[in-house]
Amino acid sequence: MSIHIPILIIISPLLAAFLVLLSRKYKIILATASIITSIVFVSTLSSRILSGDKVIYHLGGWRGPLGISLVVDGLSFFFSLIVLGLGLLVIIYSIPERRYGRTYYFLLLVSLSSMIGVIYTTDIFNMYIFYELLSLAVYLLIAYPKTGVTLRASFNYLIMGGVGLSFFLLGVGFLYAMTGTLDMFHIAGRLSAAFDSSMQMVIMSFALIATGMGIKIAVFPLHGWLPDAHSMAPSPVSALLSGITVKIGIYCLIRVIYTVFSAEIFLLINSHNILMVLGVVSLLFGASMALVQKDLKRLLAYSTINQLGIVLIGLGIGTELGLTGALFHVLNHAIMKSTLFFCASIMISEAGTREIQGLSGFGRQQPAITFAFIVASLGMIGIPPINGFASKWLICLAAVEAGYTFLVVIILTASAIAAAYYFRVIQVLFGGSLKQGPMPAHEGEQVINRDNLFRSWPIYILAAGCLLLGLLPTLGISLVKPAVSLLLFHVVP
Amino acid sequence: MTPINISLLVFMIGLYGVMSKNNLIKKIMGLTIMNGGIVLFFISIGYREAGLAPILEKGTIDGTTTIVVDPLPQALMLTAIVIGISVTALALALIVKIYSKYKTLDIQQLSKER
Repeated sequence: MSIHIPILIIISPLLAAFLVLLSRKYKIILATASIITSIVFVSTLSSRILSGDKVIYHLGGWRGPLGISLVVDGLSFFFSLIVLGLGLLVIIYSIPERRYGRTYYFLLLVSLSSMIGVIYTTDIFNMYIFYELLSLAVYLLIAYPKTGVTLRASFNYLIMGGVGLSFFLLGVGFLYAMTGTLDMFHIAGRLSAAFDSSMQMVIMSFALIATGMGIKIAVFPLHGWLPDAHSMAPSPVSALLSGITVKIGIYCLIRVIYTVFSAEIFLLINSHNILMVLGVVSLLFGASMALVQKDLKRLLAYSTINQLGIVLIGLGIGTELGLTGALFHVLNHAIMKSTLFFCASIMISEAGTREIQGLSGFGRQQPAITFAFIVASLGMIGIPPINGFASKWLICLAAVEAGYTFLVVIILTASAIAAAYYFRVIQVLFGGSLKQGPMPAHEGEQVINRDNLFRSWPIYILAAGCLLLGLLPTLGISLVKPAVSLLLFHVVP
Repeated sequence: MTPINISLLVFMIGLYGVMSKNNLIKKIMGLTIMNGGIVLFFISIGYREAGLAPILEKGTIDGTTTIVVDPLPQALMLTAIVIGISVTALALALIVKIYSKYKTLDIQQLSKER
């Protein structure tokens, strides 16, 4: 039983997804139970992973390049923990809303299980399959309310995502043509020989895969789909998209850069500079676009582009400190952005408008939710006792150490802009009294009981997480440590 | 023109279609053409001149070597075709819904609608 744990983590939500379709009554219990089961399975592995070991599972007993293997190492353990933890909270948060039927939970579970599939698999074509499955589920989740804007947003995302994944698949084709295998660890072993004979093809495949993943993580010139998709989707789905789904793209990028194209090739073709430039550009672009938004959820969506820029800068610096900062920021951003989207959903359904100006007075009516919102937005800006500060600090430190002092200036500038747009929202929250406006068409028909247990507790848990990781950053760093040492030294710490 | 170049050309034609056409259906057609380019690319990777199907028959192991095509890309492409079809089906379903809401498929006009 215990050797089958990696596959059980994927199977449990997938099985529950189909059971959810069959049962009308128990859908929520099934969904929650399956995710909790997966979390329990992951936590049984935690002591082995955190001590630097890794768990490899060969599907059907076929080893090596012939079969598909699942690997749980520091990096994939870290990402699967984010996915499952936030996935559980997203499911809990969607419980009070009655209009989410069986298909909603089905799609949610399929997307979560395929995310874990992307994270665990070592076969790069299998990664593509899981990613496409994840994307299909997510397109449908965005279009779930079936209103005009959501359909358009979903279609835009489908076109961009389809092109991105086609690029990824073509890159995989180039890798297969050079090495004759699809297992990532085997490709890595043969690629340095291929690099000597056909350098252009290696660079080509790297460019294709990086472009494909760049579309998925909405790097600046390829970000077109993100603001619509993230802001128009139903709020729990927005949190899922912004908090987790874009992180899967980051995971694939890290995996491909550090496992397939070993760090030496990565340095040789100078791609760390490209990552850094893309990071800087999307950082500044996201920050300045967020500044001019009138729609609260759109502001949060542009803020995602801003924060992912910081992660890319950290990856681009590529030193131990930089990677620690980048991965830690992935965790922090996932927590903070889901808090913000959860809070934004409550604000929007209370005020009946998505405009920031219409939210004035919310802070006096619901101080607890507002407090959580303020904690998370201070974290986004990077103010000391909150977790966002710790990871930004690490990245700035890494930039200075590696001799890129100008990056610190840019990150601080972007943080100042972030402060401008978040403080604008916070200021409005404590303004005049709240006017109950008409409900926007795509935000649901009935007002949900404001002190609903399932609505408020996920927010409190996440806000507490922000404070905890901010006050004890070593907690998060110890989680990231095995992943970083795996990436840099290919050895256990 | 090697098969690989042709397949990349098909891929590029598809990309051009996705990027430049205004009609949603034509965009989906572009996506399908891209997918077709990828399928051709993988198949031409596995192709060997005068290669046979890689089936090991009883009594054929006699020290002589026969040229066979690489079956793995073909198996992969079966999966990729299925995925491409499901993406196309989903996109067409979305298009039907969009058309019934807005009565247009032109992306320029759609972006003006609120």
